[in-house]
Amino acid sequence: MIVNLLSRTIMMSTPLLLGSLAEVYAERTGMMICAIEGIFLIGAWGGFVGAYISGSLVIGLLTAVILGMLMALLYAFVTVTLRQQQVVTGTALNILAVGVCAFFQRVLFGVPTTPLQIDALPKIAIPLLSKIPVIGEIFFHQNILTYLAYVLIPISMFVLFKTSLGLTIRSTGENPVAVDVAGINVNRVRFLTVLVAGGIGGLAGAFYTVGYLGMFTTSIIGGRGWIAFAICFLGNWTPKGAVLGTLAFGLADAISIYFRTGSSVVPTELIIALPYILTIVLTIFRSNFNVPAKLGIPYSKEN
Amino acid sequence: MKRFNTVFYNVAAVIVGLVISACLLLFMDVNPIEVCGKTLGKILTDRYNLGEIFVKATPLIFTSLAFAFTYKANLFNIGAQGQFTMGAVAAVSISLALQDIVPTPILLILALLGSFIAGAVIGALIGLAKAKFQANEFLVSMMSTYVISAFVDYLLRTSLQETKAEYLQTDAIAKSAYLPNIISGTRVHLGLILAILVAVGVSVLLNKTSLGFRIRAVGKNRFAAELAGIPSSRIYVISFLIAGGLAGLAGFTEINGVQHMLLREFNSSIGSFGIGIAILANGNPIGCIFASILFGFLNVMGTTMGRLPGLSIPASIIELIEGIVMTCVIASYAVRIYVDNKREKQRIRKAGV
Repeated sequence: MIVNLLSRTIMMSTPLLLGSLAEVYAERTGMMICAIEGIFLIGAWGGFVGAYISGSLVIGLLTAVILGMLMALLYAFVTVTLRQQQVVTGTALNILAVGVCAFFQRVLFGVPTTPLQIDALPKIAIPLLSKIPVIGEIFFHQNILTYLAYVLIPISMFVLFKTSLGLTIRSTGENPVAVDVAGINVNRVRFLTVLVAGGIGGLAGAFYTVGYLGMFTTSIIGGRGWIAFAICFLGNWTPKGAVLGTLAFGLADAISIYFRTGSSVVPTELIIALPYILTIVLTIFRSNFNVPAKLGIPYSKEN
Repeated sequence: MKRFNTVFYNVAAVIVGLVISACLLLFMDVNPIEVCGKTLGKILTDRYNLGEIFVKATPLIFTSLAFAFTYKANLFNIGAQGQFTMGAVAAVSISLALQDIVPTPILLILALLGSFIAGAVIGALIGLAKAKFQANEFLVSMMSTYVISAFVDYLLRTSLQETKAEYLQTDAIAKSAYLPNIISGTRVHLGLILAILVAVGVSVLLNKTSLGFRIRAVGKNRFAAELAGIPSSRIYVISFLIAGGLAGLAGFTEINGVQHMLLREFNSSIGSFGIGIAILANGNPIGCIFASILFGFLNVMGTTMGRLPGLSIPASIIELIEGIVMTCVIASYAVRIYVDNKREKQRIRKAGV
């Protein structure tokens, strides 16, 4: 049972990890992606629709990435190019995403008599590694998105802290004027980073439909985009922090799903609320943050 | 002139948004002009439907004020949904407990106070987290909504569940606890008047009192305000407390005025719509009234469209329309700044010659 629970933890932490890594990249350039909930949702929908119509899970994942990037494009256009408030724009786009998904779901499928279902991504057992007792079962018996998330952790650490690209990304959030003086276009860096983050976010959303449930409802994300957003904060804007935060939430998520199916003395509602309570508690008691200096502040050469 | 400008740009943005949304109807293989015409006809010719616009607008006025109020202190209260839900819990509990004991006016006042306090407590806790621990109020208020929603589900399953214990909902409150209807043939209730009065009150509080001045000062520059002897942490708590209370009042008007009982996922989107409305109104409390009426109208339009026979337009089209309209309004701010800047430059150039 413990093995099962831990394996679930790794699985459920996949989208949160992808989402919070996306946020880490974007927020390091000074851009909070407040539309993350909407990007998750549209990714989930895109993944489902792509896979359902084409019959191919790969096409589904691609659709999710493209739709996530489109949403991020709109977000970046309003916040970077037009320099509008990020929180406010995010709220608008989150509502828009719900509308777009519900509306086009109806356009494409009408009112189906039976719930539409696709086969979820298969679990891939890594040869040799999956044979290791316990660890193999927990870590190496997952679907492709989970492995992708694993790979992204070291890559992100390397890119952010060891390459000149990473230096540019981090400086853009800390001191955009210096970046500008160095001849790099601040707004272009922000725009492109948000686009990439949008693609990763879309993939994260697709996990819920393509990688796990095999169906779509507009409430499928249920605030998990915001949790990814929170993990980025709590993890101090580092990939390492994102991993730790994600595992904590993945465990909470796995426990809640586990207990919802079994019977228990603790009210189910308390367990459902667990990840959210955890976020609040951590947000309150985590005090020494290393916030990117220009987080959420639009850049303009004139001032 | 400046105010006129704001209104002009907002109205233009709303119209652009509506036109874009109408074009999306083409995807449903229907003629947008015909559908919109039919829908408008249905709304305008029917007294009940016209009234529904104001019924839907009433709670939105409160939740938009709840966002607009903290917005003035440069804080983001994303949790109006949770504060509203707690207000609704308070209103329904007080009504159910006291409806046979106390006369209607006193009961309504108690429910009103109770829902304000319930929302205010949640708000104050968020403000306290911000003031004492420098917690990110945006995240805390957001997450509080999900926690409260789970908490209410628990209540509806246990102590607040109806006597029949069949559905996850409370008993209906007695007629004596209803907010009186003010326009016959519709569901418009006294809550609308209350909402408008509260919006005017908030406007006065923010613009004409010293507390309002302090809130705005902290919002503009909290360090400058602190140098002037205004403790920003206390202002954070106070503005969140009031904002929470305002959202709580929406719970009162919805329970005692419209629904008369509490259900699961009760009005689950008025919190986020409130944010949209406050943005549309640029945080102006009086503007919130009109923007809420616009959203009320869109809401009724969505449901009416959904009911048109033989078309199968989803009622969720309202979210689509509102998302597009909000995005257009935000974009219009940028257009306005651009146009103003250009005009200013021209003026300076002319003056230079």
